[in-house]
Amino acid sequence: MKKTRSLEQKEAMLGWWLVLPATIIILSLILYPIITNIISSFFKVSLMDRDTFVGLENYRNIVSDPEFWRSVMITLVYVVGTTLGTTLVGLGVAIVMNKTFPLRGLVRSLILLPYVAPVFSVVYAWKFIFDPVNGIFMDVMVERLGLFEQRFNLIGNPETALWVAIVFSIWKNFPFTYLMILARLQAIDKSMYEAADVDGAGRWQQFRFITMPELYFVLGSIVLLRVIWNFNKFEDIFLLTDNLKVLSIYTYFKAFVGVVDLGQGSALVILQFALLIGFILFYVKKVLKW
Amino acid sequence: MKRLALIALMAIAVLSMAYANGDTEAAADSGPVTIEYWTTQTQSDRLATIGVLVDTFQVMNPDITVKVIAVDENQMATQMNTSASAGTLPALLEAATPNTVAFGTAGLLNEAAATDLINDIGADEFYDGVLKLNQTGSGGNYYSVPFHGWVQGIWYRADWFEKAGLNPPKKWDDIIKAAEYFYDPGNNQYGILVGTMAEAYAEQCFTQFAMSNGAGLFDRDGKLIFNSPEMKEALEYYAELAQYNPPGPQTWRARDYYIQNKMAMFFYSTYIMDDLALAENAAGSLTSENFAELAGTSFDPDLVKNTRMAPIITNTQDAGYGTIVSLAFPDTGNAAETAAAQKFVRYLFSPNAYITFLHMAPGGMNPVIKDIAVNPRFQQDPKGLFENYGTDKMAEIINGLDSIETFGIVDGKRIDAASVIYSKQIIPQMIYKITQEGMSVDKAMDWAEAEMRKLM
Repeated sequence: MKKTRSLEQKEAMLGWWLVLPATIIILSLILYPIITNIISSFFKVSLMDRDTFVGLENYRNIVSDPEFWRSVMITLVYVVGTTLGTTLVGLGVAIVMNKTFPLRGLVRSLILLPYVAPVFSVVYAWKFIFDPVNGIFMDVMVERLGLFEQRFNLIGNPETALWVAIVFSIWKNFPFTYLMILARLQAIDKSMYEAADVDGAGRWQQFRFITMPELYFVLGSIVLLRVIWNFNKFEDIFLLTDNLKVLSIYTYFKAFVGVVDLGQGSALVILQFALLIGFILFYVKKVLKW
Repeated sequence: MKRLALIALMAIAVLSMAYANGDTEAAADSGPVTIEYWTTQTQSDRLATIGVLVDTFQVMNPDITVKVIAVDENQMATQMNTSASAGTLPALLEAATPNTVAFGTAGLLNEAAATDLINDIGADEFYDGVLKLNQTGSGGNYYSVPFHGWVQGIWYRADWFEKAGLNPPKKWDDIIKAAEYFYDPGNNQYGILVGTMAEAYAEQCFTQFAMSNGAGLFDRDGKLIFNSPEMKEALEYYAELAQYNPPGPQTWRARDYYIQNKMAMFFYSTYIMDDLALAENAAGSLTSENFAELAGTSFDPDLVKNTRMAPIITNTQDAGYGTIVSLAFPDTGNAAETAAAQKFVRYLFSPNAYITFLHMAPGGMNPVIKDIAVNPRFQQDPKGLFENYGTDKMAEIINGLDSIETFGIVDGKRIDAASVIYSKQIIPQMIYKITQEGMSVDKAMDWAEAEMRKLM
């Protein structure tokens, strides 16, 4: 047997040996936690004693909690708002930055700043700007411009907090979208626009029939990534707002604050995971057409 | 051949683990020990002082290494729970007593270690009321060792009150009248600061109002009596008072607005004393020097003189409120670590170390040992606060520690379930729902009661 092994087979074997350590590490760091998570979602997890099997009770508790459905709605609004926002702003900025104008290089790199600045410091700057009593935003809006009669707490108020979080995320993340789109824009063959000009196509028609089709798959991928990232977003929202319960923060409160309920937390994570996977499968088939 | 090698390898691994385990057990009386000490003192200057105390201790006990880890008060329960499930509990922790008692009832603490230590120091050396807060359900035992404490009250602008002809904020009617009088949002002036964000501060403010209306969570038999007319009345009053807050959900950080002369009253512990008195401490709260465009104010040196504290609130009865910070020994299952932690705590209670510790925040950290309170060295704090406020006023505050009332003590009996409710932050969440999300008081109370029942 051994002697008949060809060089190709040997190469393949070597390949397997080389990736084996990495595979083991990945499996133990990703697959193992996922499996433990699924298992513990069916248990009442006790920190000191043995866990007790409770079947679907964790899931039933979650689904019957109106707060859960509220946080699903908030998450949806957040994800749709931020994804639309980052994509549209990124697209607009990319198109402008694709034109030639003086100091373009400098402007292009300055636009990246919100994306590269650490979340922590940026969040605190925002908090300071929107502080109802000492912040510059209220000072300008109320005292200088008189647009509002009274000062209010834009970040703290549960009704406005969601919108602040969305605007924050758009501001912070549009540079990534812009970067990806700009890279694709630069690769579009100029002769197509020239040909369109000759045929008498206007600006809008050029955008509609040349630029958009060329960008389709880049936009599709960016939207997918943004949805995945923002669906699980925790740190921006947790740091910026006081009590905006998107799914990940709702899970954090359920699982870790005060009396720990890891079983319920696990069940929540599984539900969140299922929602996301469902969306991804649909999206990949319909939009990315794989 | 391969299988044999694998078995040998596993055998070595198992043996070495067993050996390592035996090694730490053997360290009970000799050999170096490293212990973790979790503290809720997160400010860098306080950590520096603790560092000095630890260094001194380590010089005297070369076998023990103390690792100080700062944990935010609001994160303490979360951190304890996660490290309990991971099996990495610290050997010693310093936290608010409701938290340590909650950990104790959850079985995370070594009660014997705490009880031994209190008896070693002498139970009659401590203030009675302070020890009571730490008692376990069965008498004579303690969950944790009281360490230091603060008293809370309403701090107010006595000069503004006098000018307006208002009574000091002690009775419910006087408080709300003053809050309404000074509330002038058009001029960026606010009446009062009470906690409305869903965190511990809101519960601390609210407890005092509930207590002053005779509203508790439990009766003396441990039955939940939260949903009472007295509680409802207190909540309605609190919600009304919160309208005179600065806009939006607020927490203790908004005390800065008082220092900037933009607020007439605020709830705070005695920790504020040095902030009020000392310009360099207050400077951090001010914005005008850094941002001339903002309508800030510079430090007002007369603020101390014009500030008074009302430690007692009255409606149907008098109520004071404060918190004792205690030292607890988590049940690590490692006798050597617990012994080392006990030794370290014994050292922290030695007069020199104790006074050094308390002087980190004069006014805020008050002794729980009677002898230390009258110790002349303690009364000469480096920041000169005793001098500034007067020894009598300070003595009054320290004595207040003895009569702290909380939801967890009913007729001198401690109710363990109250600590669990505290650490799950149900009351702060209820207050948030009422004041920020516009939920009706009845509905919010029903919600809170249901949440409380889930925990029992």
